Amino acid sequence: METNPQSEAVQYGRGADIRHALHLLKRNRIVLAGAIVSVASVMLALLSGLLVNPSSWNQQNSNVILCWNNPAIDWHITNVFNCGGTVYPLGTDLYGRGLLQMIILAIPVDLWIAFEVVASAVLIGVILGGLAAYMGGLVDEIILRVTDIFLAVPGILLAIVLLVVLGRSIPVLTAAVLITWWPFYVRLVRSQVLGEKEKPYVERLHAMGASGFRILFRHVVPNSIFPVVVQATLDIGAVILTVSALMFIGLTPDPKFPELGNLAKQGIQFLFTAPWLILFPGLTLLLISIGFNLLGDGIRDIFDPRLRR
Amino acid sequence: MRLYEYAIRRLFLMVFVLFGLSLFIFYLTRGLLPPNFAISPYITPRMDDAAKLSVARSLGVATESCPSYSAFVAQQIGCITPLWGQYAGWLKNVLTGNWGLTLLPGVSGSDTTWHVFFSRFPYTAELAIAGAILTILLGIPLGVISATHNNKLPDHISRVISLGGYSVPQFWFGAMLQIVFVLYIRFNGAGLLPGSSALATTCGICFSDPGRITSYSGLPIVDAILSLNFPFFWDSIVALILPAFTLAITSIGAITRIMRSSMMDVLRQDYILLAKSKGLKDRVVIYKHALKNALLPTVTVSGLLAAYLLGGVVIIEIVFSWPGVGNTALVAAEVLDINFLELYVLVTAVIIVLTNLVVDLIYAKLDPRIRY
Amino acid sequence: MLRPESRGNEDVLKISNLNVIFHTYAGEVKALNGVELSVKKSELLGLVGESGCGKTVTSLSIVGLLPPNAEVVSGEILLNGKNLLTMTKEEMRKARLKDVAIVFQDPLTYLNPVLTVGSQITEIIATDTEMFLPKLLEHRLDEIAQVENEKGQLDTELLSEKRHLNSALETGRLDANEIKRLTRNYVLSILRSVRLPHPEKALESYPFELSGGMRQRAMIAMALIRRPKLLLADEMTTALDVTVQAQILQLMKELRNEIDASVILITHDLAVVAEVCDRVAVMYAGDVVEVADVDELFKNPLHPYTRGLLASIPRVDSTIDQQSSIGGSVPNLIYPPSGCRFNPRCPKAFEKCPQTKPELVEVSPRHLVSCFLYEE
Repeated sequence: METNPQSEAVQYGRGADIRHALHLLKRNRIVLAGAIVSVASVMLALLSGLLVNPSSWNQQNSNVILCWNNPAIDWHITNVFNCGGTVYPLGTDLYGRGLLQMIILAIPVDLWIAFEVVASAVLIGVILGGLAAYMGGLVDEIILRVTDIFLAVPGILLAIVLLVVLGRSIPVLTAAVLITWWPFYVRLVRSQVLGEKEKPYVERLHAMGASGFRILFRHVVPNSIFPVVVQATLDIGAVILTVSALMFIGLTPDPKFPELGNLAKQGIQFLFTAPWLILFPGLTLLLISIGFNLLGDGIRDIFDPRLRR
Repeated sequence: MRLYEYAIRRLFLMVFVLFGLSLFIFYLTRGLLPPNFAISPYITPRMDDAAKLSVARSLGVATESCPSYSAFVAQQIGCITPLWGQYAGWLKNVLTGNWGLTLLPGVSGSDTTWHVFFSRFPYTAELAIAGAILTILLGIPLGVISATHNNKLPDHISRVISLGGYSVPQFWFGAMLQIVFVLYIRFNGAGLLPGSSALATTCGICFSDPGRITSYSGLPIVDAILSLNFPFFWDSIVALILPAFTLAITSIGAITRIMRSSMMDVLRQDYILLAKSKGLKDRVVIYKHALKNALLPTVTVSGLLAAYLLGGVVIIEIVFSWPGVGNTALVAAEVLDINFLELYVLVTAVIIVLTNLVVDLIYAKLDPRIRY
Repeated sequence: MLRPESRGNEDVLKISNLNVIFHTYAGEVKALNGVELSVKKSELLGLVGESGCGKTVTSLSIVGLLPPNAEVVSGEILLNGKNLLTMTKEEMRKARLKDVAIVFQDPLTYLNPVLTVGSQITEIIATDTEMFLPKLLEHRLDEIAQVENEKGQLDTELLSEKRHLNSALETGRLDANEIKRLTRNYVLSILRSVRLPHPEKALESYPFELSGGMRQRAMIAMALIRRPKLLLADEMTTALDVTVQAQILQLMKELRNEIDASVILITHDLAVVAEVCDRVAVMYAGDVVEVADVDELFKNPLHPYTRGLLASIPRVDSTIDQQSSIGGSVPNLIYPPSGCRFNPRCPKAFEKCPQTKPELVEVSPRHLVSCFLYEE
């Protein structure tokens, strides 16, 4: 009697998981591209100080404002100013600074603010959301109602009020965006933990004598963290868009401050005479945003247990 | 619990949320700024110090024992009512619609904040409603088509649109649209579409003299219809195209994604298999069986949609020079017209909370399992 | 259980050499390995086997609703002579509407939660009103005829209705409201025939408001209303309580007398088979290994697998010192055993078994086996 060799380990369990994940990654080059773009932007941010003089944003060169001398693009606009000698690959802005250099200086600023906001929001979300779900009752009600209050106002309006009242500065801007964002994470973590705490292993841990907090923070939260990670990655893009929008409408500490929305703000007055001012910072925002969105989607698709075939 | 009991419960919740919000806004604006900000909308330059002081007292900000207006401004001890006490006076003004005189430049100083706000609000409302309509009309079908043609061309196109819409900076998108449709595409000697303002008279397909309309509802487009003035109606609609589309682009992207994902989920369900096995036509399976289930997560999200659209109008109004309250809010921020901002926030909050209530009722109607 | 009078000789369903593969990330699952199956008119065939042996895949192949990653590599499925596998999508849809119906296992997940039960039944009629119209009319006319029998005569209202319906029978047309009324009427009668209590209320209810047994009856009603030639019941009672299961089986037995359909009853429970079926087909790992009349199979099982199955059923009238079971485990269908798929676990296997797959041959009248032990 003959038996066929059956490599069961490859059909079930870990082997199949990893093969499945790799298969999805290979199939989806677009997600790969997104991952590359987001990593590249972070690298660019880290290296920006070496590429461009960090203090150059505070300088001004009145001779070469609003000029364009990159032969690669012809805007078909009359009266484009001349830049003289040096070639500015992306033209110059209202203060005579090279746009490309300003964009390179602005990327780390945006990324850093986004990172701060998302990390803080996740932290607050985990603490308050976890508490709300795990303790239930009055604590849950109170936390939920507070999130209701914050969700009743559009973020931008709250941000405007805060910046008016507390003055325009980067920390206030960061806080203003954070105030808009944290309720989503509280709700997300709460619903995840609610689902998780019904699972049998929680009851077992409890019977073994583990304290509530220990169960919550060392077991339940890490197991429910996956959608939060996905959302956080997606939100980096969304936060950057929000921050730049706020700067764009004028809530900046300094009109010369190197930030992508702030750079674009100059462009709105010169929309038809110097379109590069809005075009390139916006394009940069678009690319970074797409990169992080694709990365977040990719993480979700690859590791989502429901999509297993 | 029956539907109307649920509605009543939600109304109570609504009141609570608005109350909590008013406390928060009050603290932000009155607690963190010097007290003379609270007074300025209610005094005119012609008042003398005694009059100003009595205004301050009537608003509940200055105490009865405060000796003079200058002592009040200098925040002398015992002159300023504690914050909790001020709240009552503030709330009374809020509820009676007394928001004082406007501090906005370019507007007559005797115009009230209330009037300035509500005379401009219809334009913002139009913009937001148009954005909402576009989101629903484009986002849902795109998501459905994407799911039913999974991994084929319509799906790929739709996913690109969705990702792009979701990732694009709205101000940039609006600017790009203007560059393309106003600067580069020309018709009849002018740009194809108008660049700014709510009534376009200088675009390629606009009427240059649309005449006038009588104001029935306050919303220009509705009034144009009611006044039977087609050129005005047309010009208003044309002017609305680019701004509304810019406003909606992000939410179209989001709704398409959600719709696609929930539709794909639903199409995998057992009851869809049974429906097909009964010999039902494809169209029936998709629209009667699948869609109703797939809409549920989308409806849940629509509440957030309202908040997003009402916030986004601020950006759009700047980019397109739209004469609504979003535009004005920034001017108010410049001149520290706190009352205007407070009014804006509270009105928006009421709209959002009501919209959420309606959305939740729609959800309860769609899903018969929700009748707790 | 044998009904020689009504059993015809023609095959309603004939499956030949059906090979189905599933393409998965872990590999290709060779789910069906040349299945041969036939069902005669009015016959109740039981299809038994363990989980994963291919029973459900077979039934889904018949109705053309295999998942997207499935591929029918070869074979024929003839329903009254027409090959279902070569039909167009539209032809297949019509076949599902009128010729072959399937009832699934767990009615809670198989009924749409946001639509009323009534809506999910009446939509079947609405799919092809023209086709159903004669039945709707005849049913109502029968009802009126009954009243006439009981009371001796009809009042003017019923008389005019009778005349109206008779003319509709000839013209083939009726206005929409009338159709709705007749449809509701007909659906209610079908619900009564499946013994669903309070049918009017059930029509307006949502699936989660009904009990498991009631939901299953509703699903059966959805199948019966089409008067299919072939009814597939895929583990119909598995998700139900034992008492409800007994009721549903009782219902099936009563309905046999009424419906003219052939039935394939898919189950892993031999007791159900013994209770209701005329004939049994046993499946193992994608093959049909034995087919016989029910009594014959239980008296004289030929295939070693069937013997093992029957031996492992605990008996009330004897003590069990050791539970008999079939050694080994269900094979992996990505790398299935060569030749006869049962050979690694078969106590009687010899050299020929792993070499080729044995054919399903008639070894004694109406008793077919796929095993080299009987192929001399």
